[in-house]
Amino acid sequence: MPSKMKPRLSRGVLDMKFMQRTKLKVAKEDDDEQSRALYSNELNTKMLNSNSNFIIEPSYAICEGLIDGRLSFRGMNPEIERLMELEQVEKDGKSRPEQPKEVTDQEMVETYYANQAPAASKTMGKKFSTKNEFHKRKSNEQQRLHKKGQFKKPRQDDE
Amino acid sequence: MSSALNIVMPGERITAVEDVAKGKRIILGPGLRRVNDTVVASKAGPLKHREPNTFWVDNYQRRYVPARGDLIIGIIKAKSGDVYRVDIGSADSASISYLAFEAATKKNRPDLNPGDLLYARVLNASPDIEPELVCVNSNGKRGKLGLLQDGFFFKCSLNLGRLLLRENCPALKALTEKLPYEIAVGVNGRIWVKAHSAAETVGLANAILSLEQAGHSEIDKVCDNLGDVLQA
Repeated sequence: MPSKMKPRLSRGVLDMKFMQRTKLKVAKEDDDEQSRALYSNELNTKMLNSNSNFIIEPSYAICEGLIDGRLSFRGMNPEIERLMELEQVEKDGKSRPEQPKEVTDQEMVETYYANQAPAASKTMGKKFSTKNEFHKRKSNEQQRLHKKGQFKKPRQDDE
Repeated sequence: MSSALNIVMPGERITAVEDVAKGKRIILGPGLRRVNDTVVASKAGPLKHREPNTFWVDNYQRRYVPARGDLIIGIIKAKSGDVYRVDIGSADSASISYLAFEAATKKNRPDLNPGDLLYARVLNASPDIEPELVCVNSNGKRGKLGLLQDGFFFKCSLNLGRLLLRENCPALKALTEKLPYEIAVGVNGRIWVKAHSAAETVGLANAILSLEQAGHSEIDKVCDNLGDVLQA
């Protein structure tokens, strides 16, 4: 029997200052074990591994999907009306229709590959280029980076 | 399943719900109980269903049974130590900590007196302990909760409270056309209204109470007549 027992820390060790966290953990484990032992003959396997298809919901408000009951109409209480408006906006936001596209999918694909595809071939091309070419390209790129883009004034309707 | 009148009685086994439960998870609302693998009604009334999977019994009732998350109107009964005792129409009075208000601290207590009306949320509700209320949301903000000042307060059945709170309820819209007002409807069958004058407020209360006997189907008709009630 003693050989089966889990090794336990003695109380003297647990009382040491740096063992306080472990002490709490050990105490919790002991507690759990005790409560399990206490109820073990009350629990049956069905209670332990039954998964039910029923969820109990005691609130009418959730079942019926009721709205908040604090309402104000026609400017009686501006504070409440502002909150109601915010809620409405949030609700509409979820079901907002898709915004019209300025760029069609086809155009997007074309420009994307026009810009991206060379990048992929470049990485592979780099593998086969000589050191001399590599340095040349690097210095070119650096020059390009030094050229600073000018500030473009945003349009009025952009935010 | 139709939402037409499908009356169930307490103790009745409801096979229609059981059949649905075989396929998917379902939510049993108030008035329905699970007994092993069967579903049994515990209240008398029409069985209601809401898509996709919620069932409940919509019985006539005036006694509020607290449920977590409900928005209710309570009347402060007393101060006792760190909490206020609040009457919410349930079997047991509820409590609300004086720290459960916006910007309240131990030094800066909210100024509430017995008789004040609170619009509050039920924080926890269990048959074994008294319900606890809060007047702030999880961010510590007041939102719509808090003290209700002035106005007129009256009680009604729980059903009327819920009827007004359904989405797109025609009653409140019909009243809006007549006059500006603000209202707090608790799901515990308590309503507080406020309009510009006392006469308007009382008319509003009468108009709302006249809906008490209206069923879900005839509510549109009654709403058309609400204006007449207001005038009277």
